[in-house]
Amino acid sequence: MGAGGDQIVMGNGFWSMGGYARYVWPCFAFTCLVLAWNLWSANRYYVAARLRARRALAAALAAGEEQ
Amino acid sequence: MWTWFYKLASPPYVYGAAAALTPWFLGLAAITMGYGLVAGLVFAPPDYQQGDAFRIIYVHAPSAWMSLFAYTSMAIAGGIALIWRIKMGHAVAAASAPIGASFTLLALFTGSLWGRPMWGTYWAWDPRLTSELILLFLYVGVMSLRSAFEDPARGDRAAALLGLVGLVNVPIIHYSVLWWNSLHQGATVAKLGKPSMPGSMLWPLLSMLLGFMLFYGAVLCVRLRGEVLNRERQAKWVREAIKS
Repeated sequence: MGAGGDQIVMGNGFWSMGGYARYVWPCFAFTCLVLAWNLWSANRYYVAARLRARRALAAALAAGEEQ
Repeated sequence: MWTWFYKLASPPYVYGAAAALTPWFLGLAAITMGYGLVAGLVFAPPDYQQGDAFRIIYVHAPSAWMSLFAYTSMAIAGGIALIWRIKMGHAVAAASAPIGASFTLLALFTGSLWGRPMWGTYWAWDPRLTSELILLFLYVGVMSLRSAFEDPARGDRAAALLGLVGLVNVPIIHYSVLWWNSLHQGATVAKLGKPSMPGSMLWPLLSMLLGFMLFYGAVLCVRLRGEVLNRERQAKWVREAIKS
């Protein structure tokens, strides 16, 4: 691999990716989407678990007061 | 050494350690992935055969590596839980599965988009691609099996067993390009001592790999905290922890 030499890809050539833009950019966009989903869903899972634990605690406290 | 191992079996310790590690993992992941993206997309030269399409490697290879790493971690954690009856092993395995599945999907998607301009097709029933697809099915199977039982402990054990059986697929994926005729290119980085890439292409790739690993660590920690809370809901320490 490698063409050798230090070449900086910028400007129109950067966005067109040498004619492969329709393959390259969707890959990077989908990657961002998957990484963001991972963070969002993990956080949602944690928050839901915390809420369930809080409810269990509240239920246990209420049961204790009734007795 | 065993003290450290036993600490990992303690839910409050795992919960606290995961909370402390998450920001470090996330911060370092952002730095390494930021460097990898800029160096890979802007400064790395185009490949002499594939042109700029080769830049897909910066997301494809790390996601493919992580799909194997997450599966191996999941299977080992499940195995530890089965052998030593350490509940936290099942929690780690359960937390790892969805992350690994998403990386596998990402590897298949980016590989498919890379394959179209290079091979002329989005998909071929090639040994590497097929074994990676089987990995995705294994992840889905493990996650489904875990939630298929009314008794969570039985679900954990069944999922750990399937995870261990499926571990046989990991070396098959890795060596498929050597064992069979494959459209997929051989190893470029893993050739010890002499990777077939120049440094300007290799360093961003290694940085992206490190970034993906750190990101996996961060997401695993967040999911693990949720798993621990779900499993230890009735424990006294959880009540103390969520009160604060």
